[in-house]
Amino acid sequence: MIVFEGVSKFYGEVLGVNRVNLQIAPGITSLVGPNGSGKTTLMNLMTGLLKPTRGRIRVLGISPNDPEALFQKLGYCSQFDSFPRGATAREFIEFYLRVHGYTRAETAELAHQALERVSLTEAADRKVSAFSKGMRQRVRLAQSIAHNPSVLVLDEPLNGLDPMARAEIIRLFRQLADAGMYLIISSHILHEVDMMSDSVVLLHNGYVVAEGEVHGVRDEIDEHPIQILIRCDRPQALAARLFEHEHTVEARIHDDRQGLFVKTRRPDDFYLLLNKVITELNLQVESVGPVDDDLNAVYQYLITSDGGQTR
Amino acid sequence: MAVYENLYRAYEGESHTAWSRFLVIPRYAVRDVFKSKLFTTIFILCFIYPLIAAILVYLHHNTNALALLQINVRELLPIDNTFFRTFIQVQGGFAFILAVLVAPPLISRDLSNNALPLYLCRPLSRTEYVLGKMAAVAFLLSLVTWVPGLLIFAFQASLSGIGWLLANLWMVWAIFLGSMVWIILLSLIALAVSALVKWRVVASGAMLGLFFVPSAFGEIVNELFLTRSGHLISLWETMNSIWLGLFGLFERQTGRITGKVTTPIYDNEFVDIVLLEPPLWASWLVIALVCAVCIWLLARKVRAYEVIK
Repeated sequence: MIVFEGVSKFYGEVLGVNRVNLQIAPGITSLVGPNGSGKTTLMNLMTGLLKPTRGRIRVLGISPNDPEALFQKLGYCSQFDSFPRGATAREFIEFYLRVHGYTRAETAELAHQALERVSLTEAADRKVSAFSKGMRQRVRLAQSIAHNPSVLVLDEPLNGLDPMARAEIIRLFRQLADAGMYLIISSHILHEVDMMSDSVVLLHNGYVVAEGEVHGVRDEIDEHPIQILIRCDRPQALAARLFEHEHTVEARIHDDRQGLFVKTRRPDDFYLLLNKVITELNLQVESVGPVDDDLNAVYQYLITSDGGQTR
Repeated sequence: MAVYENLYRAYEGESHTAWSRFLVIPRYAVRDVFKSKLFTTIFILCFIYPLIAAILVYLHHNTNALALLQINVRELLPIDNTFFRTFIQVQGGFAFILAVLVAPPLISRDLSNNALPLYLCRPLSRTEYVLGKMAAVAFLLSLVTWVPGLLIFAFQASLSGIGWLLANLWMVWAIFLGSMVWIILLSLIALAVSALVKWRVVASGAMLGLFFVPSAFGEIVNELFLTRSGHLISLWETMNSIWLGLFGLFERQTGRITGKVTTPIYDNEFVDIVLLEPPLWASWLVIALVCAVCIWLLARKVRAYEVIK
């Protein structure tokens, strides 16, 4: 486990993060929040690049103050293209392995394994400057996993990638997580985080506003109405029947008049009711699904609603 | 919580080269600088004076060669403390040129690439990082200063015999310490400039400015006030005093002005001024202070993340 106990970090009088209590399990955990919310601060605290003003951090039982032990277990992938001019992918990875303290033979072996893991063996001896963004990201990733860490900290790893490259990188993350790694990812691209994360930590202004599994977080917000879209042939009739029941907070017909948006505070009861109404009205239903059961809705609700602040 | 099959095994062995880990940085840096043809050419030129010095030592002990060249041994420069002090001074000049060429991009490149977090996410401290960068400069400068200096000393000792060696053994320390003080000063200034300035050309210019502008200003002070105290703000003169001190050649009084003088300070006044160089301890203090300021700057700038307030 990665554990934060009452961790605060202040830059002088400026708040970085405050009173963070977290327990991060294996798998992909995403730190989500807008710029300045404390994502990078939290990552830097975990990697020992920053010292907490208060509190205690343990990464697999190791204090970040013990770099010798910590960095055998932890890998860090920066969001920046930190490639030296003229370096090849292999040279870049080997250099940092050498700085890590590995012998020449170990370095060659580990670099080769890492390049293989990110499917870059063929391009390994080409200059990174000629690589696409996706390939560069894979080089950065290879650098961070080359020493076989158990915890991988990735700062905005999907920034600037095209959809193909994103899908490729996400698949790689999934493989690593399935192999038992801890992947801590910071992002503000909510829908991607939603797709790949096992759990999320939502940050705002240095505070953790919610944490847990994406759907678990959503469930906790029982006061926040969920919006469901029902694509059907007679949305007006459906709306009229649904308004007879207290589960419906709001209903709005889709612009194409082939669907109905319904807001409800009790989705489980609402779905039971909907089945009944569809049968009664003999509606032709194309699809039923939540519109905003994604992180974006949860996030927006938590950071903009006064009631949602869990400070 | 999900159940994972833990296939991922972290390396759990000992690190083989923990104490010398930082030396990877200079190894790669030195390899990189020799990719530049300009640097390699200048580096080779740095050995011309040591070659001349070695030939001079050889001639002092080879009567056949002297006869062939029709040179009297008394016409040659004597191989003494002045000879070695001059050697260190000349090679110190070359060391300065090498430092200007090599050092400016060392840290600035990492800062502009945002590579510091990558370095520091290893079992490598900020001190070790700076030491590694400094070692790259120190290694190259050593090759043109105390290493050839001691080789020539050893050459002279081997030709002159044990008597000369015992009488001049103290010079080993003078050659080494004199060179090392200059190397440390140059490395620290160059790295501090490199940490402050991201552009290589500007960094090189700043370094030249730091050495030449105060020297010129110091000379103006000396001329205006009829003093030698202006030498304290010239790193060249300060270092020269230290070298003179180490080789037993330092003299405080370097001149005397007697008579009527006209400067912006003195208006056709009669003066009798003994020109005294600043004391040696003051020169050491200046060098120590400059080094301390550079270390302070490096401590402030070499961080994984810059906190912008």
